[in-house]
Amino acid sequence: MRVHPGSDSEAAVDLHGLTKRYGRRRGIRDVTLRVLPGEVLGFLGPNGAGKSTTIRLLMGLLLPTAGVVEVFGSDPRLDVVVRRRIGYLPGELALFPSLSGRELIGRVARVRGGVEPREIDRLVGRLKVELDGPIRSLSKGNRQKIGLVLAFMHRPDLLVLDEPSSGLDPLLQDEFEQLVHERVCEGATVFLSSHDLDEVDRVVDRVAIIRAGELVGVDTVDSLRTRAPRLVELHFAGPTDPSSVLAVPGVRALDVTATRVRLEVTGQLGALLHAAAPLGVVDLTARPVSLDAIFRSFYEDGPMGRMTHAN
Amino acid sequence: MRTDLTRLDLRLRRRGLWAYALGTGAYALLIVVLYPSFRHDTSLDQLMRGNPTVAALFGVSGSLTSPAGWLNANLYANIVPLSALLLTIGYGAAAVAGENDDERLGLLAALPLSRRTLLGQKLLALGVLSTPVALTTLAADLVGRFYQLQPPWPGLAGVTLGVALTAFLFGCLALAIGCLTNNRGAAIGVASAAAAASYVVSSLAGTVAWVDRLRLFSPLYWSVGQNQVENGLSLTSLAALALTIAVIAGVAVWSFDRLDLR
Repeated sequence: MRVHPGSDSEAAVDLHGLTKRYGRRRGIRDVTLRVLPGEVLGFLGPNGAGKSTTIRLLMGLLLPTAGVVEVFGSDPRLDVVVRRRIGYLPGELALFPSLSGRELIGRVARVRGGVEPREIDRLVGRLKVELDGPIRSLSKGNRQKIGLVLAFMHRPDLLVLDEPSSGLDPLLQDEFEQLVHERVCEGATVFLSSHDLDEVDRVVDRVAIIRAGELVGVDTVDSLRTRAPRLVELHFAGPTDPSSVLAVPGVRALDVTATRVRLEVTGQLGALLHAAAPLGVVDLTARPVSLDAIFRSFYEDGPMGRMTHAN
Repeated sequence: MRTDLTRLDLRLRRRGLWAYALGTGAYALLIVVLYPSFRHDTSLDQLMRGNPTVAALFGVSGSLTSPAGWLNANLYANIVPLSALLLTIGYGAAAVAGENDDERLGLLAALPLSRRTLLGQKLLALGVLSTPVALTTLAADLVGRFYQLQPPWPGLAGVTLGVALTAFLFGCLALAIGCLTNNRGAAIGVASAAAAASYVVSSLAGTVAWVDRLRLFSPLYWSVGQNQVENGLSLTSLAALALTIAVIAGVAVWSFDRLDLR
């Protein structure tokens, strides 16, 4: 079952006014965010923006300078029981190099308690995890697969995944996405940090974007696309003065010649078409900007500016 | 009581543990086997009586050729505590600050365990690591009966307990400094410096007047600095060591609750 944003149900994750400072260094500031049960939230931002800090606060690993973290209504820092419901994959996954994958998974499963050996076997088979031999001899991808087994093996209600597909080959990325999809279909919530925008596009319901420690937007991917600027190119029959086109609100000139203009258009195209019609347009192309460009716009303080919170 | 993380930490250090224990045990056995060769060497006692300060610097007090004096001077006043401390200070510094620096502690702290349970399991591992050096040395001492070396057994049991408690105490100090500073180097440095100062104070307490006033602050004075091989470990010494350990462990628990983990 998937519960979509806007539902009245208790939040799986509720961050309110969350602030973390490391002495004089910036951490994150005043982050407020709710993730509903069954939702997949993509948590995006450039390197050093505060993604891992937010995730560690969410896991109760860091003490907040200010603000509140609640997971299923409890503080995961203090409530051991709620941590049973969370599967966590750190961004910088460091395992114990002298142990084998089999030994590490077995030991962590014993600490967790209640982990079905069949579930471990199933994950190991699907992800093709190399269990024997010391972890120090494994490639990054193989270590990452062990991390994924540790995160998924107890069938958690909340998955907190920091760069989960890092180091995985495309086939295993597909398998990972399938695993996420299956958990979500069973009602789990996913808090996913990733730099892989194609993966984000395929997997998440909403994205939250953090930049320089502050949340600059939370919205659905579809809404982002709808509101994103489009690239429009107009060709005229002969030399034309395009000033009436350039005066349309939401239009920004990228390149102007006597017989052609390239524009970035935010919002509806109707006003632009109305202004262009008398100018003898012989050809028009319009295409949306890529998801990559949309996120770059946020990362670089681009023209999309600050989104309104969808939730 | 769950001990999964205790066993994990011991598993990760099993080679070092065996190496320290067997190495120190072998050295202790050598000292025991050598005793008959020095048993009647009165020149050694004369040397010590003639240079009490030098003798004190090496942790020697009293007769060097008596069974208790021989073991005290060659094992318990220096090498055995030093060996035990190397193991426990190393673990104490690595258990929190080191693992956090390596970004492994977050993975464990995210499991359904309270921080106090997690730290409690590390203190338990520290307790286990505090014993093998003392026990293998005791085992070597027990062989002494075949080499004319028969110190009072209550004394040996007492000094064995003293060494283990001192090792635990300084390992706990390294752990607490690691929790307070999140810095493995600081944890090793401060705990090692404290152990070295404790050794000097304990050794010179009977020789230098102003140092003598500091002896009560030296854990080594309470554990091995009062000729415990002869006299055993008094209840006062036991209480002093236990109280100090309790205070340091309390600081470790308090600071670990507030430590940012990675």
